[in-house]
Amino acid sequence: MASLTLRKNIDSLHATELQALREAYKKAQQIMDNRSYNHFAGLHGIPNWWCWHHERSQHSRVNANLFLPWHRAYLLYFEKAIQSQAPPGVKVGLPWWDWTSARSHADGVPRAFSAASVSGQPNPLFRARIVAPSANPPINRVTRRFPGNPSELPTPAQVNSLLDLTSFNDFTDQLEGYHDFIHGWTGGNNGSVGGDMGNVGTAAWDPIFWSHHCMIDRLWYRWQAKQGMNNITPTLLTMVLEPFGMTVREVLSINALGYEYAVSSISVGAR
Amino acid sequence: MATKGKATQKKSAKRQPGPAKGAGPAKGTAPAGYNGYRVAKVFKASKKVPIADIAPHFSRADLEFIGVDHSGASYEGRVFINNPKASASTEATGTNGYAGSFYVFGHGGCFGDVGHCDINRPDDPFDPRPSHPLKPLRKVVIATDAIKLAMEQRQDITLTIVPIIMSWTEKCELEDVLNFDHFNLVTYD
Repeated sequence: MASLTLRKNIDSLHATELQALREAYKKAQQIMDNRSYNHFAGLHGIPNWWCWHHERSQHSRVNANLFLPWHRAYLLYFEKAIQSQAPPGVKVGLPWWDWTSARSHADGVPRAFSAASVSGQPNPLFRARIVAPSANPPINRVTRRFPGNPSELPTPAQVNSLLDLTSFNDFTDQLEGYHDFIHGWTGGNNGSVGGDMGNVGTAAWDPIFWSHHCMIDRLWYRWQAKQGMNNITPTLLTMVLEPFGMTVREVLSINALGYEYAVSSISVGAR
Repeated sequence: MATKGKATQKKSAKRQPGPAKGAGPAKGTAPAGYNGYRVAKVFKASKKVPIADIAPHFSRADLEFIGVDHSGASYEGRVFINNPKASASTEATGTNGYAGSFYVFGHGGCFGDVGHCDINRPDDPFDPRPSHPLKPLRKVVIATDAIKLAMEQRQDITLTIVPIIMSWTEKCELEDVLNFDHFNLVTYD
């Protein structure tokens, strides 16, 4: 029987786990077909624009906020693509970036993502190449990132207060505000141009995008644990999360999707 | 009870120079190593919300911003109540009328061909697609303390919003960033 994928705090990954993650990202970034990093990054904004933020409508005049369900499905599909590129016998999980942690408030972007190179090789978690020939104008360059002052990052108290909100609409609205802030903060600017995390079109090419969204997904999971897994507007349940083909109902349980969130894990051999 | 107040953007507002202080959720922080956030045209409401129209007792008050454009830069909208002189250098404190901030994750301008970002899609019940990605959004600032303070001071409510641009692309307008249709003041018991 398959075990659940563990998504861990990026700061608690063992060196071997981090290396396996880097190898998987690197391989995904080296291919260009529909298994590639470029393919999945291009689903969010440029050129496919599937992402769902804030309230929109679909088959109804009623606005629906599918921000959290849509990104949960997106992360799952991306994680499967990354796992397919991992070294044989290694099950990698997408790590989450706790931007409220003391370490983040001191260092900002975690070292795993901010180091341009590792052991003399380009760090695939630092940046990726955007290849979007159908954009106007076409884009073919590596990602940029100009993060802001770490002291501006949200505090644990601020984020924990969200977990006390009892309404899904309230929770998703407020959490999306923090999500939006982190995008702007991480992308930042160099005075003349902004970083890629700072706009919807190119954000998903920055390798830290996935770990930012794991943090968001984890906060939704923690909120569900406190306020009820099925605590969501009933009319959303049958809505389809395109292009993944899953309904909102199908993404409510992360265990049913085959993963869980851990702060850390230690494996000890029996012999 | 819900109280609605409509507002239009004042076009003559001056651009505020220099970086904003405490631009993130953790307010009042010193911007060491600051990355040059920009300040766009400040919104000053032309109409007041009479406090006589607000229910006297509530446990929560929200400012809902409806029809917010998000096609361009990513920014913070820093909301002040009854402080028309608020600027990027105004400390985000209750005594200065600071009510809270909303954040917009912008699309960064149009990277499609001509017409790609036009959102005037006709109303068609047989169209299976989700609404256009650039459909204007709604942002909510929970502003209970600031609204209660204004009511204690018996002051009708006016809003000033200072937009702090955090990130942008070469396709972004950097002056007229904050555009929305109207705001609602909604109270809950």
